[in-house]
Amino acid sequence: MGKLTSFKRSLWVFHASGGSCNACDIEIVALLTPRYDVERFGIRLAGSPRHADVLLVTGAIPRDFADKLRRIYEQMPDPKAVVVVGSCGTTGGVFYDSYNIAGPIDEIIPVDVYVPGCPPRPEAIIDGVVKAWLKIERLERKLEGKKEGEKE
Amino acid sequence: MNFTLNTPAGYWNPLLWVIFLIIFAVVGYIIYSRGNPGHKTGEQAKPYLSGNEEPDVEEIRVRASDIYWGFLEALKGYYKVLLAMHTGDIRDYVYWYIGVGTIIILIFLGGL
Repeated sequence: MGKLTSFKRSLWVFHASGGSCNACDIEIVALLTPRYDVERFGIRLAGSPRHADVLLVTGAIPRDFADKLRRIYEQMPDPKAVVVVGSCGTTGGVFYDSYNIAGPIDEIIPVDVYVPGCPPRPEAIIDGVVKAWLKIERLERKLEGKKEGEKE
Repeated sequence: MNFTLNTPAGYWNPLLWVIFLIIFAVVGYIIYSRGNPGHKTGEQAKPYLSGNEEPDVEEIRVRASDIYWGFLEALKGYYKVLLAMHTGDIRDYVYWYIGVGTIIILIFLGGL
């Protein structure tokens, strides 16, 4: 795992669940309990994608939800990263090739980190979010470089 | 050539008007250019509605015409007659024009 170079802000995560059996969602909620308590690192769930840095997606994504997920992704400010939690979102899982499924998620929106498992352990989800964090830091540096370039 | 129009209430000069228009346009552009360059437009500026598309404002807001609902309801009988007269057929309006015109001419000719 890479090393975080900046803690200048906390990481706000938006959780979108489409067609999930809720097992992954329960593991995400477990991250907020005293046992894992990701909020001590500044990682917290946001109520709106417009306030979020990372999009956490669970579920196999039914056809009706695909355009909503696309809109949620587009509403997130840059830089942003997407983490797919669970086997359903990663590959389709047991719903693979089902008539009512628009996923896997990387066919709908660009995905940066995959956390496989049915459901994955909370530690694995934390690892995935931190990997997304590293990517966001890289993107942020790029954006800052661009901004400085514009000033010159 | 003198463009100035003097009236008892003041004067009007189109050249002066154009000069002021240009000055205000420049001031407006300066204010506009000092605006937030990071201002977002498009999907990122829209409200989050659980991923649903934002409905058209005309569908979700109270329209100005809704304010007159009570007025229209109270005068329903009057509007019913008016609406029945407004058929949208130009021939009906021409008949009205000829009919009313004939009555007026008869009144004038008859000296009633």
